[in-house]
Amino acid sequence: MREAEAGLKQRVPEAEVFEHNPRRLYIRIPRERLTEAAKFLHRERGMRLAICTGIDTREGFEVLYHFSEDTTGTMYTLKVLAPKDDPRVDSQAPWFPAADWIEREMHELLGIDFPGHPNMIPLLTSDTDWDKSKYPLRRDYERRNEAHEQ
Amino acid sequence: MKDPRIWGLKKSPWVYHVAAAACNNCDIEILELLTPRYDVERFGVVLVGSPRHADALLVTGVLNRKSLPRVLEVYEQTPKPCLVICIGTCTCGNQLFRNSYNAVGPYDRHLPVSAYIPGCPPKPEAMILGVVKALSKL
Amino acid sequence: MTLTGWGLVFAFVVFPGFIFTSTVGLLLTWVDRFVSARVQWRQGPPLFQPFADILKLLLKQTVVPAGASRVTFLAAPLIGFAAMCVTAVLLFYVNFFPSGSFVGDLIVLVYLFALPPLATILGASASRNPLSAVGASREMVLYLGYELPFLLALCVPIIHTGGAIRLGDLVLAQQAGGAFLTSWSGAIAAIIVLICIQAKLGYPPFDMAEAEQEIMSGVLIEYSGVPLAVFRLTKAMMFLLLPCFLVTVFWGGLASWWAILKFLAVAVLVILIKNTNPRLKIDHALRFFWFILGGLGILGVILAFMKL
Repeated sequence: MREAEAGLKQRVPEAEVFEHNPRRLYIRIPRERLTEAAKFLHRERGMRLAICTGIDTREGFEVLYHFSEDTTGTMYTLKVLAPKDDPRVDSQAPWFPAADWIEREMHELLGIDFPGHPNMIPLLTSDTDWDKSKYPLRRDYERRNEAHEQ
Repeated sequence: MKDPRIWGLKKSPWVYHVAAAACNNCDIEILELLTPRYDVERFGVVLVGSPRHADALLVTGVLNRKSLPRVLEVYEQTPKPCLVICIGTCTCGNQLFRNSYNAVGPYDRHLPVSAYIPGCPPKPEAMILGVVKALSKL
Repeated sequence: MTLTGWGLVFAFVVFPGFIFTSTVGLLLTWVDRFVSARVQWRQGPPLFQPFADILKLLLKQTVVPAGASRVTFLAAPLIGFAAMCVTAVLLFYVNFFPSGSFVGDLIVLVYLFALPPLATILGASASRNPLSAVGASREMVLYLGYELPFLLALCVPIIHTGGAIRLGDLVLAQQAGGAFLTSWSGAIAAIIVLICIQAKLGYPPFDMAEAEQEIMSGVLIEYSGVPLAVFRLTKAMMFLLLPCFLVTVFWGGLASWWAILKFLAVAVLVILIKNTNPRLKIDHALRFFWFILGGLGILGVILAFMKL
């Protein structure tokens, strides 16, 4: 078992590791332990935050933080699940500048809240010509049925 | 007697490249068009750095809600008479973004377009043909 | 021969003033584009291209940006243009009638050649655009850069003729004793003036004021229509008059049949330097002009004093 995996399991006992292939690990953790796990991987294991992704699934909103261990070429992905009626995930932007814009994009397109984000303004959608309560990347968004589109 | 203004515009069209959030494929082809291999300076075409110097706007990219006011402002800043030449199928019609939540319709809904050059991306030869046809119709 | 009355008006407007200089200047810009095209293995524009450019610009809408200083914006191009018309008359007159030149006319010419960059700076500052402000500051720094070695180089022929600051004396001395270019100090000074011509015209490697890709045509970014046509005409006229100035002061003057070939040689050198060099940064250019060319200029002056 890798050192990083062992260290993470020691900090966050509820972590479930799924090994997709030797260079790609998916680690599911509860959303309250996200900050701790992310800081551990960055500060003590020296990984860098490569990208974040968000997706709307049946169980809820999955937000993934992909950390790259550049010395071995392995990707450690932290998966958190936010339920549909309470889509909140602690923002990682205060200590990872890379997460700043991605969380803004996830907020405006998926509707996930990131409490603690320093600058939550729209990134890609227009400031003037867009209804901010509509989230296009959700599964229930149907362009034909949306009244605010022409 | 030919109109001297039209003659000047036909023989010396200075182009300005407006890249309105394109995927950059058409932008790369436009850059290739302006290389010595295709030699568009034979037609008097020169790439200028400011829309105020331009006679033809080469627009690329699907028009979306955010870029629409900005593209309109660039068009306002170009002294008339000027041509608008749409490069790429995304500008002629929305192509694969036609059901997108962000696309606000092809360029001719908002600007007077002089030439459509479809292709994804169009070859530089197609662009030269399109520009020459647009100029000969003046 | 003195010019008065209608003769003077004719000289300013038709020959060798506005019409002659601008026509030949525009033909020279065609030569520039033709040589550049051949260097790049392509065909290049047809002969009437620069005239079509100017005609088109004259018939386009002139847009003055809101908040720009309107009078300065529209009047600035005329300053450089008028200066070049006067320069044309002065330069050609002195070459063909050397006895008609007056003391200090070399200095008058230096000041006249300083007016087009000043016009550009004025126009750019009146444009109310941050990019044109960057271009204007670069143009100012560039001017400070090249004026020093330019003046040092102009001291060399003055020293050779024993202190005459009259162009007519310089021309006569060359007709009597051989071109200044053939002496060591004269050759160094001629090279310095050639590079300064490159900077005055705003050609690569010194086109950072009007950098097309970087600051979107810098100084001229807000100009359109007639003022832009006047700026381009001024540049075309400078392209004729600056090599003529070099031939006058260093290469024997324009009053001989070989003069056309000499003039073309200088012009083609300028075009080739333009085509083979990338753009310099403004601080590199300043260091180049002050330390390298300035040093060469001092060397040329010392050699001139030693009669070399």
